[in-house]
Amino acid sequence: MRWTAKESALFFESKEYIDTALVPLTPIAFDEQGRETGNANEFIQLITMNIEKQFKGRILLLPAFTYFHSESDDWKNQLLASWLNELKSNFKHVFIISTDQSWKPILEKSGNEFIWLPAVPLEHLEDEYKTTIIEGQVKQLLNLFVMKWQNAVSQ
Amino acid sequence: MSDKQRVTRRQFLTYTLMGVGGFMAAGTVMPMLRFAVDPALQAKAGGDLIATGLKESEITNEPQRVDFKFDQQDGWYESQVTQSAWVYKDNNGDIIALSPICKHLGCTVNWNGNEEFPNQFYCPCHFGRYEKDGTNVKGTPPRGPLDRYDYEIKDGVLYLSMRAKPRGGA
Ligand code: FES
Repeated sequence: MRWTAKESALFFESKEYIDTALVPLTPIAFDEQGRETGNANEFIQLITMNIEKQFKGRILLLPAFTYFHSESDDWKNQLLASWLNELKSNFKHVFIISTDQSWKPILEKSGNEFIWLPAVPLEHLEDEYKTTIIEGQVKQLLNLFVMKWQNAVSQ
Repeated sequence: MSDKQRVTRRQFLTYTLMGVGGFMAAGTVMPMLRFAVDPALQAKAGGDLIATGLKESEITNEPQRVDFKFDQQDGWYESQVTQSAWVYKDNNGDIIALSPICKHLGCTVNWNGNEEFPNQFYCPCHFGRYEKDGTNVKGTPPRGPLDRYDYEIKDGVLYLSMRAKPRGGA
C-alpha cells in the first residue's frame, strides 16, 4: 500500500494482513552533493515503488524519512529511532532502505533490517534502460522480503 | 478530452480567484468537474488495445509473463503505465490473458511461484493460490478469480486491453 487517501483507508480495513513497513531514508543537500542527492532520491523512489507494486497487499511504503545532509548525526539518529519505535509497535517487520551509507553501522548494530543500495546514475539513461536496471535490482530484493516472511512462519 | 479539462480548470481557477463567492461557486463546480472528466476517462480505459511484444506463434500451453506499456492521463499529469499479464492457450486453443494482481489485496502472483503447488498461480503475500484458468483455490485468502484482459491478434501479434476485467465469482 501507499500512503494515499484510498490506500490508507484500505490499510486500516486490512491491517492484520499488512505486517511489513518499508521506509526510505532520503538525504537532501544544496551544496556540491546536491545533484547526487537528487539522483539518489529518484533511484530510491523507483526501487521502492516497484517493491510496493509486487507486494502491495502486505507492505506499507511510507513517505520517505527526509533529512539534510548537513544535519547533526545525533539529531537524525534520535528522530529515526523514534520513527522506528512507532513503526515496530505497528508492524511485525520493518525494512529500512537508503543510498546513504552512513546509516549502516548504527542501524545494523541495533538489529534493524537495513538495505543499503548504491545509487545508479540515472540522469542520462533512457527510460527503457532505467526500467531494466531497476527491475533487475528489485528482483533480488524481493527475495529478502520473502525470506524474512518465511523465517517468521517457521519460527 | 484534455482541451475540455484545460478550460474547466481555468474556470475553476477564475472562480476561486473571485474570493469568497468564488469559493462557494467552486463548491458547485467541483462535482460537475468530476462528471466532465470521469466518463472521458472511462471511455479511454475500456477502448484501445495495446500491442505486446508477444507473437501468437510464441504462445504455448504454459503461462508466460508479458509486460506492456502505454501512456495514461492520470488526473493532472500523463504517466506511463506498465501492465503485466500471464498468457497461454487453453486446451481448446483459446488464448487466456490473466492479470497478475491478486484478488485479495493486490500483490503480484506468479505461475509456479511455489514448488509445493505446481501448476498454480501463487501469491507470496498471504499464500493465495489460483488454478491455471485463474479460479481461486478455496481455503486461500482470495475471494474471486483473477481478472482477464480482452485480446486480439493483429498481424500475428498479441494485443491486450489496458485494463483487465473481473470475472464472476468462482
Ligand atoms: S494479497 Fe494475495 S493472498 Fe493476500
